[in-house]
Amino acid sequence: MTTFVLRRLVWTVPVILLVILLTFLLMRQIEGNPFRTSERAIPESIQQNLEEKYGLDDPWYVQYLRYVKGVFTLDLGPSLVLRNRDVNDIVREHFPPSLELGALAMLFALVFGVPLGMLSALRANTFFDYGAMFVSNVGFAIPSFLVATLLIYFFALEWGDIFGLPTSGWDTWQSKVLPTIALGLGPMAYFARLTRGSMLETMQQDYIRTARAKGLRWRRVVVVHTLRNSLIPVVTAAGPILGFLITGSFIIEQIFAIPGIGRYYVTAVTGRDYSVVMGLTVLLALIVIVANLVVDILYGFLDPRTRDARA
Amino acid sequence: MAVAGFAALSLAVVLTACGGGGDSGSGGEADGVITINWSSEPPSLDPGLATDTTSSNVLGNIMDGLITLEGEDLTPTPALAESWDIEGNTVTFHLSNEGRWTNGDPVTAEDFEYSWKRTISPDLAADYAYQFDGIVGATDYNSCEKNCDAMRDKVGVEAVDDRTLRVELTSPQPWFIQQVAHTSFLPVNRSAVEQFGNKWTEASNIVTNGPFKLARWDHNSRLDLVKWDEWRDADSVSLQRVNGRMITEGTTAVQAFEAGELDETGALGGLPPEELPRLQGTPEYEQSPSLGTYYYGINVDNVPDVNQRRAMALAIDRQSIIDNVAQAGQLPASGFTPEGMPGFDAINPNSEWLPASGDMERAKQLMEQVQNPVKDITLVINDAPGHREIAVAVQDMWSDLGIDVEIQQQEWAQFLEALGPPPAKTTDAYRLGWIGDFVDAFNFLELWRCDSGNNNTNYCNKDYDALVAQARNTPDDNERYDLYAQMERIMFGPDGDVPLIPIYFYTNVSLQKESIKDTFTQDLLDQIDLTKVVEGDGSGAEASG
Repeated sequence: MTTFVLRRLVWTVPVILLVILLTFLLMRQIEGNPFRTSERAIPESIQQNLEEKYGLDDPWYVQYLRYVKGVFTLDLGPSLVLRNRDVNDIVREHFPPSLELGALAMLFALVFGVPLGMLSALRANTFFDYGAMFVSNVGFAIPSFLVATLLIYFFALEWGDIFGLPTSGWDTWQSKVLPTIALGLGPMAYFARLTRGSMLETMQQDYIRTARAKGLRWRRVVVVHTLRNSLIPVVTAAGPILGFLITGSFIIEQIFAIPGIGRYYVTAVTGRDYSVVMGLTVLLALIVIVANLVVDILYGFLDPRTRDARA
Repeated sequence: MAVAGFAALSLAVVLTACGGGGDSGSGGEADGVITINWSSEPPSLDPGLATDTTSSNVLGNIMDGLITLEGEDLTPTPALAESWDIEGNTVTFHLSNEGRWTNGDPVTAEDFEYSWKRTISPDLAADYAYQFDGIVGATDYNSCEKNCDAMRDKVGVEAVDDRTLRVELTSPQPWFIQQVAHTSFLPVNRSAVEQFGNKWTEASNIVTNGPFKLARWDHNSRLDLVKWDEWRDADSVSLQRVNGRMITEGTTAVQAFEAGELDETGALGGLPPEELPRLQGTPEYEQSPSLGTYYYGINVDNVPDVNQRRAMALAIDRQSIIDNVAQAGQLPASGFTPEGMPGFDAINPNSEWLPASGDMERAKQLMEQVQNPVKDITLVINDAPGHREIAVAVQDMWSDLGIDVEIQQQEWAQFLEALGPPPAKTTDAYRLGWIGDFVDAFNFLELWRCDSGNNNTNYCNKDYDALVAQARNTPDDNERYDLYAQMERIMFGPDGDVPLIPIYFYTNVSLQKESIKDTFTQDLLDQIDLTKVVEGDGSGAEASG
């Protein structure tokens, strides 16, 4: 197991290098000037001063090497657009809210999605099943920005007196309720469907029939034999989804005015803030790598066969 | 709390139910605390580096400059400078001795010399260094490669003593006094800058000299100001604290306002167009003119026939666009210089090519005279909300002239590349706006010089350029307005070249609680003066309703 983890960690280095190179080249392929943020033109000499200050007048490979060195010394450079801030500041201040929002949404999705799917499978083709799957279909189909707007309208405005939830922000626990639901609803629906399908399939397996034939209690068969094996697809999907929830919550952050990293990511791309785009892409890559690693480790616990194959 | 008459009743309910909203609005009682929406994160609170309206609005309330602009016509008024003399190209400011930094140091003429030269310096690489281009030696110093120190000393800004600042200009530039009210001319505190470097603007480091102090700056979330009791005119300031949110999404801002979390929605961010019809009838709706012009530029190389450009201008029904699409009570533009500009009546050409409701008949007649009409027009716009709807309306109007319009919507950075100057060959027409930096029509009309960096039309008229040069050296207001009127006529008079089509003059719209609505104003340059805001109880409105 340790060798496996170590090998995977070593592999992250070339992956990160490739991510930096690709982002670096792609960003410079698209037109745009990070220093021109408004319609006002920038005089030639001022543009030169800026390029000199931020080293954009160097050849691309010099810039690339400088950046790689920066990444491995944990210095992601200054923002080209927010002139008083470094990318390190942005990550340090704005990654925690995004991480928290992503984790809360994930927790919400798992805590409600998995039991919902399980109960649906156990009561397959009943009204409960149909109802639950209808709800999860709808939850999956409605885009999160619409969910967010509806949640604010009902729970902060129309019934604001009853629930006392604020429309926006990210400081009190009340302010975190609506964004969590808005972001977690889609994955929740997805987990519910995944769990249901997987449970139904597992219940057809020979070993379940054997377990029941042995006279084991139904509850034990469900929890120990069925659920555990049914969770493998859920765990597989959870890794990338967690990565997506942490880094892809731009719309939710925008609507609820949450000071997270997603808002910076999108504005950095549109504003051609090269260093912020690069820094956040590297961070995103790391999160996805770590999330997938965690999934692989969890596999080992859920399914001993995969553990043996890697040993 | 939307209906004034029930405010008190529903307030009680909200307050008891609202467990978590620690600073959710000021609740209505006049405690001198209000919550506003800055709409976005200010990119920089360094006066040398700030270029946008959010930053300049924060800075305008935490920093004290030499002069301020007062009243509806934005008259230069003494602030830290008690008075100023103008002799030819020399301007001398006499500073008050009441200026203090929050660290206790006095604000001196040296502070201004240091600050301005710092912004001009190539090391800071400030975008707005060009605001100082009218000062002797500034451009040379800004673009210096070597001997920079010597060039720094030649810049025409000098602290003669603690309270006298002398500025040498390259020409009389009668708008210079106006310009000094701009954010770029605010002072910075040398010791804070030298101690904290790039991080001097953080709430824990910043040293200011204005009516409010920066109490808190949680990036992209909250920026709160608190009254500074030692400011030279602190007695006149009524507000004790201004809590500021940064809600970018217009719909969320409206919802936060309606939930009582905000006292105003953020005049800088505007209101969502689809909500305007509903909100316009409410007593909280506020609309004020802004010194800006929304226009369509034409690439005159691609559309060379002046009659076609005139026809395209005539075909646009501005009033209909304002009433049905833009919907914020904008004024149809009858020239490029916006209404509210000093001398507007003298300058405005009241162009026959720009009638408020258009003139399709005449447009069609003109179009028939065009030898080689350009029937396929690529119109480039950016992807911010609202522009597409206007472009579709214009597309429809131009199609009546037999012109087939392809609308190209691009994201901002790419859009700017398509504009140039020079514009991309494929760009036939584009939408853009110009918001004034200072209150003189020069700031608008200077754009259309041949080699102006903001002229994206390929338009070049030597007579026009000669008038611009002449205006630079004409201190007398009325004589200068006459020159401006001539420039407008070159573009939009009976023989006008029509290189661009002004659509409307901007307005700012927001929602404001009735308790502050009377005193919470945004001037023509979109600046909010929080020192003037007095929190009433809104009882006047209740009694009448």
